[in-house]
Amino acid sequence: MNSILATPYGLSLLSILRIFTGLSLLQHGTAKILGFPATPMFSNVQITSLTGLGGLIELVGGILFTIGLFTRPVAFILSGFTAVAYFMAHASKSFFPVLNGGELAALYCFVFLYFVFAGAGPWSVDAIRERK
Amino acid sequence: MEPSTVWAPRVLSVLRIVVGLVLLQYGLAKLFGWPAVKMFQDLPWLSLFGIAGMFELIGGTLLILGLFTRPAAFILSGEMAAAYFIEHFPRSFFPIQSEGDLAVTLCFTFLYLSFAGGGPLSLDAVLLSKANLRPDMSRG
Repeated sequence: MNSILATPYGLSLLSILRIFTGLSLLQHGTAKILGFPATPMFSNVQITSLTGLGGLIELVGGILFTIGLFTRPVAFILSGFTAVAYFMAHASKSFFPVLNGGELAALYCFVFLYFVFAGAGPWSVDAIRERK
Repeated sequence: MEPSTVWAPRVLSVLRIVVGLVLLQYGLAKLFGWPAVKMFQDLPWLSLFGIAGMFELIGGTLLILGLFTRPAAFILSGEMAAAYFIEHFPRSFFPIQSEGDLAVTLCFTFLYLSFAGGGPLSLDAVLLSKANLRPDMSRG
């Protein structure tokens, strides 16, 4: 199975998955902190509130993850962060993610966990730094 | 061996199983009404959503088992792209406003799985290792 991951396509796709997951997370951060894209649920979020702190982690983590800088530690923190988000915001509503609205948090959590082990792939600042 | 070369494929399998479970509940909710989701109540099987539910039921099961991971993931990636552009994209450009984040993330996770395979904890891996252990018939 490793040999397939070592092919150029597999590794490029790892980076593509990283970039899209990062962008997807980043918009949650920008919506909470910068109010863009305008989301009714996140209008007037205080930075020092729990949601605001979550937004800060998403903003900084989303940028680092998208460009692929310090990918493994960032992914580790984000994985823990999304796990907390799942259990604090969603798990109490229902056992099933489809009913408690927590699928995205659960999915993020495991995608980030994978990146802790897999690293950023070739299209990343990490890869450029290693080449130097 | 570097720890990541041992653990990355194992965690890939864990990711595959979780993604499969996330998808499977959509299939179950759409076709069998369990877990009961209001939006999917009394959905005809041959509607657009019902057919999507069949993809999700069968594809989700295959992914959890790790059977035919690559073709299954490839088809599901296409299904999620279609779901995104039919259902979410017309509402807004930004996935956070169109509620399409899950579809996008699933789409790219499946695309990655279709290239990376199911990892070691999968029926694919079991079948492959059995095929390799089989004595070489050509040498008689």
